[in-house]
Amino acid sequence: MRKLLASIQKEYRILIRDFEGLALMFVMPLVLVFVITILQEKTYQTINETRVPVVLIDNDMDSVGTAFTHGVKSNGFFEVTVIQNADSAEMAKARDDVASGKYQMGIIVPEGTTKSIRNRVVALVQEQVPAMMNVDTTGLKKSVQVDLFFDPITKDSFRSIIKSNLREFSSKIETRIVFITYSRIIDAMMNQSTYLQYPEEAVIEFDESYICEFGQQDAPSSVQHNVPAWTLFAMFFICIPLAGNIIKERYDGCLDRLKTMPVSYLTVTFSKLLMFLVVTMMQAAVIVMVGIWVIPLADVQPLQLGSNIAGFVFMTVSAGLAATGYGIMIGTIAKSYMQASTFGAVSTVILAALGGVWIPLYVMSPAMRQISQLSPMNWGIQGYYEYFLRDAAFVNIFPYAFKLLLFFVVCLLVAYFYKKYQKV
Amino acid sequence: MENNVLIEINNLSKTYLKGRDPALDKLNLDIYNGEIFGLLGPNGAGKTTTISILCNLIKSTEGSCSIKGFDVHKEFRFVKPFIGVVSQDIALYQLLTPYENLVYFGSMFDLPKKELKERIDYFLEKMGLYKVKNEKIKHFSGGMKRRVNLIAGILHDPRLVFLDEPTVGIDVQSRMVILDYLNELNKEGVTLLYSSHMLDEAEKLCTRIAIIDYGKLLTVGTPEELITEYNSNCKNLEDVFLHLTGRHVRD
Repeated sequence: MRKLLASIQKEYRILIRDFEGLALMFVMPLVLVFVITILQEKTYQTINETRVPVVLIDNDMDSVGTAFTHGVKSNGFFEVTVIQNADSAEMAKARDDVASGKYQMGIIVPEGTTKSIRNRVVALVQEQVPAMMNVDTTGLKKSVQVDLFFDPITKDSFRSIIKSNLREFSSKIETRIVFITYSRIIDAMMNQSTYLQYPEEAVIEFDESYICEFGQQDAPSSVQHNVPAWTLFAMFFICIPLAGNIIKERYDGCLDRLKTMPVSYLTVTFSKLLMFLVVTMMQAAVIVMVGIWVIPLADVQPLQLGSNIAGFVFMTVSAGLAATGYGIMIGTIAKSYMQASTFGAVSTVILAALGGVWIPLYVMSPAMRQISQLSPMNWGIQGYYEYFLRDAAFVNIFPYAFKLLLFFVVCLLVAYFYKKYQKV
Repeated sequence: MENNVLIEINNLSKTYLKGRDPALDKLNLDIYNGEIFGLLGPNGAGKTTTISILCNLIKSTEGSCSIKGFDVHKEFRFVKPFIGVVSQDIALYQLLTPYENLVYFGSMFDLPKKELKERIDYFLEKMGLYKVKNEKIKHFSGGMKRRVNLIAGILHDPRLVFLDEPTVGIDVQSRMVILDYLNELNKEGVTLLYSSHMLDEAEKLCTRIAIIDYGKLLTVGTPEELITEYNSNCKNLEDVFLHLTGRHVRD
């Protein structure tokens, strides 16, 4: 026990005096989590708050024109310029403005659009109840064409959304006209004059929320993703100072000296493992504190913790062990510090990219999500999502933590057998 | 003398995985209790390989070696408390002070804390390092580092010390401090196995010398015996060395 304590004390002293290593382990991840969270949050805000400029020419000057103008103005995505009763010069200018990028889209509601819809309804009703209408329907079923023209940079998804919105507005008007026409026919048949109003309120309402297994929760903000993701990245990045520590001990001859002393290699390695595990715990604690108290200073939603703190601690210890095991494996196998730092950095970045640190898992394609499952950082992120986003119970977190613990054991076994059977 | 054998080396051979020729080729040696035994040879002769095998840092390909009757590869745990190693490398933690380094290495031998502290202070004083005991090793000169390196190998009072070029690259003053202390240590009954390129140093220090080259033993005896044996050509140990190993340059 004394040998272990002496080894831990030695590791602590070396760690605390290695300023570059400390910066790599603490400052870098804090800067990353802060900058990237704010960047993502502000980018989303910009996307949501920037309105698309649209020019709408209302030559209809009736129900459809009014409904389109009202609908496009009220949905919040568009900055609408309305021109009523435009002549051909104004319409040509509107097209030029879209072509030059001043507007991303132009809409021309031609004259008589509402009238055409009314005529069409009348023709349909005439076919159904000819005795009531007694109207000449010749030419009444003519369709009407609303012109839409787009800036070439406009995305397909945006075009689909706007066409869908306009169809919804015109459909509402058509329905209202049908309702009023039939209402009048029924009034005539019943010999009454009730003038029933078309109900404007929607029959079906949509109630939207993000659901989790144990109740409802607010939408996950970028901080809910970035804090666990960059905590894992920081943890795995300790493989560089840890591997460097092992290699330096080997190359300075200190390890050979220890091999000639009555102390086991296990004690020497275990002291490193414990010391660096404590570092990973501190990294997690510091990054979570930054998520709760520092990031809100930049006008970003604070990190919300789940209620299962034991699950969070278990997950963090498992991830910390996986990271230290990875560092020990690299330090044992690598031939030089340069080799360890290059491989450590590149492999951590690849594992992070695959694991969903930079791009959240739910944004990835199904194929990439399958590949992503090979990365221990994916298991870590999944486990943390269970805690941060779903406030899951221990049993839901355990499978991910178990995978990380298994990874830790495999790394140590690889290091052990490599060392045992290494020939010189 | 035969009953007093401390290190027994029998037909010891070593071929490295990437080496064409054997680094050691059927080496036979007996080293006795209380000797200062010098292992001399040009670069690549097999000196460090021999010491590394005796310290169980690498395995031999063939043959056997024992210390105090214990097989080095199979029973090294019984040998560990008995030996001290002063390596060619400065095997110290550069970010720690000499005091912290020595406390750490001393703790591996379970020395009582008070005794350990007293011994560290004694050695630091003796080697002229007491005043700098709380400064980091990385700021030390080569000679200071060598002296701390020596203390780390003898702190636990070993009865056999392996010294692999302990005075390489240091000034005369530091070398004298180290050599004087090695003599003192030997007078206390400690056996020293010493390898070096410094032939004049070896001639003065060692009670017996072996010259090896290409992993083979060329000769063994006291410095006087060797000079006498090759009397016709040699006036000193350096002449004997050059006579046996040749004048061509080694890698």
